[in-house]
Amino acid sequence: MEQTREKIRKAIARAPVLSVHAQRLLQICASRDHDVEDVIEVIRCDATLTARVLRVVNSSVYGLLTPITTIERAVTYLGERMVTCIALGESAGRLMKKPLPGYEAKGGDLWKHDLYAGFAARQAALHARGELDADLAFTAGLLHDIGKGIINDFLVDSAERFVSGIASGELPDYLDAERQLLGYDHCEVGLELARQWRLPTPIHWAVAWHHTPARAPEEGRPLVYAVHVGDVLAMMAGYGTGSDSLQYGLAKDWKDHIALDDGELDRLVLEVNEEFNQAVEAMNDE
Amino acid sequence: MSDLILGIGDFGASRDPAASIKTYALGSCIAVVLLDPSTRTVGMIHFALPDSSVNGRKAQDKPGYFADSGIPLLIREMSRVSGNGNSSRWVAKLVGGAAVMKCEDNFNIGKRNIMAAKKILWEKGIKPVAEDVGGNYSRTVTVPVGTGEVIISCPGRGQWKI
Repeated sequence: MEQTREKIRKAIARAPVLSVHAQRLLQICASRDHDVEDVIEVIRCDATLTARVLRVVNSSVYGLLTPITTIERAVTYLGERMVTCIALGESAGRLMKKPLPGYEAKGGDLWKHDLYAGFAARQAALHARGELDADLAFTAGLLHDIGKGIINDFLVDSAERFVSGIASGELPDYLDAERQLLGYDHCEVGLELARQWRLPTPIHWAVAWHHTPARAPEEGRPLVYAVHVGDVLAMMAGYGTGSDSLQYGLAKDWKDHIALDDGELDRLVLEVNEEFNQAVEAMNDE
Repeated sequence: MSDLILGIGDFGASRDPAASIKTYALGSCIAVVLLDPSTRTVGMIHFALPDSSVNGRKAQDKPGYFADSGIPLLIREMSRVSGNGNSSRWVAKLVGGAAVMKCEDNFNIGKRNIMAAKKILWEKGIKPVAEDVGGNYSRTVTVPVGTGEVIISCPGRGQWKI
């Protein structure tokens, strides 16, 4: 197992590099006191990203009568969340959009899962009992599964074995199955990658503990529970990542952190579906 | 041959024996499949939530999103396509309604969806003859209209019929 762990560590070191501009954008969006000018300034420095943002805002989904031609107006119109999606898709797309045969998932499944989890984590954050920046929850939701793109390459013919092991009760969940086979789970691998990408500390918490939110440091729990709930909602909506979909537990104490009754949960699901569908359509239609 | 691929909130029916009706990755959503053996018509809906009263606007825009507003429309569409308004001999099959592990009732949309679908079908006098519901796995459903077989698949679990 130590040999496999070493190979995984090397794979993390070889992972695609996050662009400087995407890195900076994620740092800005994670800070509480930023404004839209900071975001515009970063995008203005990246010609490819600027072009992509302009293509998205002028896509037919938004139905603008007059095309938007400046990055200032484009960012203001699309909002920070959409711009973060575009920047991340541009910079980390190779890792986040690839097929995951280790999970029997198609290309694009992980990206859709991440997007849905991001929108759902943001909506959950609006119901958080503790103080929480909803846009930070969106970014953390978008990044929570970055470990899967790497650990996937080491999961060979394991999906069926894991699923039947969990069904028979031999394995508690998919996370444990990954750890038993490889000595690493996708959360631990993701945490290593988050450090390598120099992502802000709150994102580290969400990546490391989105399946075990009670283990997060106390100051990070509102965020990590929001991402946990967002992740679960993505799987329930059918936007999972293949064989591990729904193969994790819901934290018993989620209600201590997120205040949602039945009606609010259903309304939240509707809201998330609309935001998600619009984002997917806009990014496919540019 | 024109296959019907149903997204969330879509419904449709066909009596083209060469066609299939398919919907992907149900999660906590439910696919209700209706079969009319006398005309060999198949219908399906992929709904997400039990009750349309949570959002009247959405219920108008996309009634198939909810069990209570969508299933009656599926029945109407089945009648139209089959030319047979007598639904008493139709049969239903239910698929989906999954949840994550250790999911308590409050969060279990799948369980609420299953109950809603069964209640509405019961009120309409249509009997579910088979189901693959609940559990912790997301299902994809394909129904070739010619055979009426309900084929379910799931990553890591293969494929089976009900």
